[in-house]
Amino acid sequence: MSVAVDIITIVAITAGAFFFLAGTVGLLRFPDTLTRLHALTKADNLGLGLVVLGLVPQAGSLRGGLKLLCVWALALLAGAMVSQLIAREASGQRGDPAMRHDGPPP
Amino acid sequence: MSNPSDALGRLMAHALARAVALLILWLVLAGSDLADLPAGIVAVLAATVTSLRLLPVGPSRLSPVLLGPLALRFLYQSVAAGIDVAWRALDPRLPLRPGFVVYSVCFPLGSARNAFAALTSLLPGTVPAGDEGSRLVYHCLDVDQPVVSQLAAEEAALRHAIRHD
Repeated sequence: MSVAVDIITIVAITAGAFFFLAGTVGLLRFPDTLTRLHALTKADNLGLGLVVLGLVPQAGSLRGGLKLLCVWALALLAGAMVSQLIAREASGQRGDPAMRHDGPPP
Repeated sequence: MSNPSDALGRLMAHALARAVALLILWLVLAGSDLADLPAGIVAVLAATVTSLRLLPVGPSRLSPVLLGPLALRFLYQSVAAGIDVAWRALDPRLPLRPGFVVYSVCFPLGSARNAFAALTSLLPGTVPAGDEGSRLVYHCLDVDQPVVSQLAAEEAALRHAIRHD
């Protein structure tokens, strides 16, 4: 049983580390502030979620597990808010009308 | 609802519910050591007052029953978003077609629209980057994706979960 739990932990944390790595590669390769924001918020949210998922079975107590989930929820909430603020600021500086697409006609 | 004592009772009930939820959050984060409790109570009171100011008790709220499916939906979307951006970052060809998409949102200015913007910031390839009147401006990693129809589907899902009292 504990071997199965350990395997879940190893798989989830490895996958989480992979998404942190991919987010960092995106941060280095993507061309501007707005595209880098996507790399950081989305890949790191998933990476942190997987790391938390892997750590919860090892927490040892209900409170420890809930605390890990709270850390993830607070990081998710902060990421959702701060990414919008940074995007607002960055698009104010680079709001190129030629880059604007109004989407397909309904 | 026009009776002022009814309105006060409703406000107190909401304040108490929020304070209990915040106290549980405090106990989870800081532990239940008695010596820490006075600081926790001050923090809970301050947080409750702040929450009532920033998010006043309104006529509509999220239905707890429908919140589960909504949370699952956005959990799935944020997994898809992470995989999408990881694939784009690691692909040697760097498949990006960044640009802005303008989306007409039906939610009025206020908490419903803010919730919509926060939830859609988890979607694959979109980050809300400002608003123009009743329209939200999204920055997209790939403007060839069906962004507008995806946003419309999320808006319908959120509207379904909001209950009007």
